[in-house]
Amino acid sequence: MYVKSSKNAFWIVLFLIPLLILFFFYFVYPLGFIFITSTLKWNGVSKPEFVGLQHFISNFQNKTFLLSVKNNFIWLFANGFVQIGLAALVALILARRPRGWKFLRTVYFLPNVISQVAIAMMWAALYNAEYGAINQLLTAIGLDNLTHNWLGEYATALPAIIVQQVFYIGYFMIIILASVMTIPDSLYEAAEIDGANVWQQEWHITIPMIKDILVTAMTLAMAYGLRHFEATFLLTNGGPANRTSVLGILLYKKLSALKYGQASSISTTLVILGLIMIVVIRSTIGRKSSASDLTQ
Amino acid sequence: MSIVRTNGRGTTQVLGNTAKWVVLIFFFTFTFIPLLWLLISSFKTNLELQLKPFAMPEIWQFANYANAMKISGLPRLFLNSIIVSTVSTGLTMIVTSMAGFVFSRERFPFRQGLLNLILAGVLVPIIALMAPYFRLTNSLGIYDSLWALIFTYTAINIPISTFLLYGFMRTLPRELEEAAIMDGTGFVGRYWRIILPLTKPGMVTAGTFVFLFSWNEFIYAMLLTSRPAVRTLQLGIRFFTSQFFTDYTSMFAAIVLTMLPTIVIYIVLHEQIIKGMTSGALKG
Repeated sequence: MYVKSSKNAFWIVLFLIPLLILFFFYFVYPLGFIFITSTLKWNGVSKPEFVGLQHFISNFQNKTFLLSVKNNFIWLFANGFVQIGLAALVALILARRPRGWKFLRTVYFLPNVISQVAIAMMWAALYNAEYGAINQLLTAIGLDNLTHNWLGEYATALPAIIVQQVFYIGYFMIIILASVMTIPDSLYEAAEIDGANVWQQEWHITIPMIKDILVTAMTLAMAYGLRHFEATFLLTNGGPANRTSVLGILLYKKLSALKYGQASSISTTLVILGLIMIVVIRSTIGRKSSASDLTQ
Repeated sequence: MSIVRTNGRGTTQVLGNTAKWVVLIFFFTFTFIPLLWLLISSFKTNLELQLKPFAMPEIWQFANYANAMKISGLPRLFLNSIIVSTVSTGLTMIVTSMAGFVFSRERFPFRQGLLNLILAGVLVPIIALMAPYFRLTNSLGIYDSLWALIFTYTAINIPISTFLLYGFMRTLPRELEEAAIMDGTGFVGRYWRIILPLTKPGMVTAGTFVFLFSWNEFIYAMLLTSRPAVRTLQLGIRFFTSQFFTDYTSMFAAIVLTMLPTIVIYIVLHEQIIKGMTSGALKG
């Protein structure tokens, strides 16, 4: 089957070298770096001092760290269940080709081609306490008492950031819709003849047929929850009083303060949580989804 | 053609229909109205923004857009983003198509192990690598240059792009090359003249993904540069609040301008873009 390759050895190596060099410097070395540095006390200049697991121990006694982990889990569940649930709901509706479904599909996906930064700036304006459209709308319809300093109050800040993220369902909706569209129409025709109503059709035909893609989408969405950074950084930078902090934000702050050891212990925590997440998802809801399902 | 996947019968139909449209309209509103609000507000005076939030602008303030261009330095930001995205996409395509060719067409020791290792790279939360990327960029002497971003984006996209291109090349029939080998085509010729042209659709998909990733990337653009001259568009937007200070509507105009090119391209090429962006998950 394969072309005899011994004489090609030179070319094989040459073709792989650029990839291997980049992969080594941007994946192998960085992972080694964070694992090793997480056991050091180091400001990047001074002589590093070995402190063992000290950073991890103090992390788990630190209120901001624990709050950030908790918020990451809130993000993970909001993305994995709320966003994917809504995306699947809309995908099932659009798969039945209602009037204008192609147009709606295109509009729902639109935010994904706009950068998160621009979207976040727009929401910062919408949530703004002085001139933001949300407070103005509430005032206009006589609900003045519901106005808030959305991003500045303890109770509303985190929900406000989460809402502007999980209701953008387009990305996952498209993935799920593509999968639903591959189910042969004949299955639904047969069910229709047997007297199954729409709900029964969706529950007994569609859902089982798209289970794998749902698990993939959930895994991806949850991974995004763990890696969340942009919207929070731009809307609140973790505030008020760290109420919206996540591990990514905390990591950035530690790195800015040149606390390499602490920063790396947070990085290591992120990598480990990511692996635990994959293992848990695989051993519970989906056994088939492969490592290669994930993108950055 | 038979009528398929109908919408049920009788009262369930009415109920289901109403619920269906409530859902569809809710998400349409959530996605579209804020963008429309931003667009309309960007033509208002700041006073109008505060006092008549839901009225049309009395006089459409095109001056906001002139202000936006003047204050934000948009042309520079766009140019930097175009350079970074184009070069890193090109590099990623070259590096991963060469590797994909070797992985899919040749047999050598540790082939599967090496491939699995590269593909496992997609599992690494890239955000966790801030500290090492910062150190690495400094030691390479490219901190605060566009090269810092070009190398970083190229490298970050290696696992996903290898995955897509390897997956595509693997499906190409071997017979194509066998005829060429008979004709004396060498290793490079097989890659350049036979496999690469056939891989074009796969490269378009992977390239779209990498380009949009690079275009929208923010964290490393912030971490690995500091001079205004090398700011990309996404990083530039972040500084709008300080640049425009209290001139909100001109700032809105600047934000609209940053969104416009991608939206226009999306309107023209939405099928391709959707495919490119979702392919990472779809192939799974």
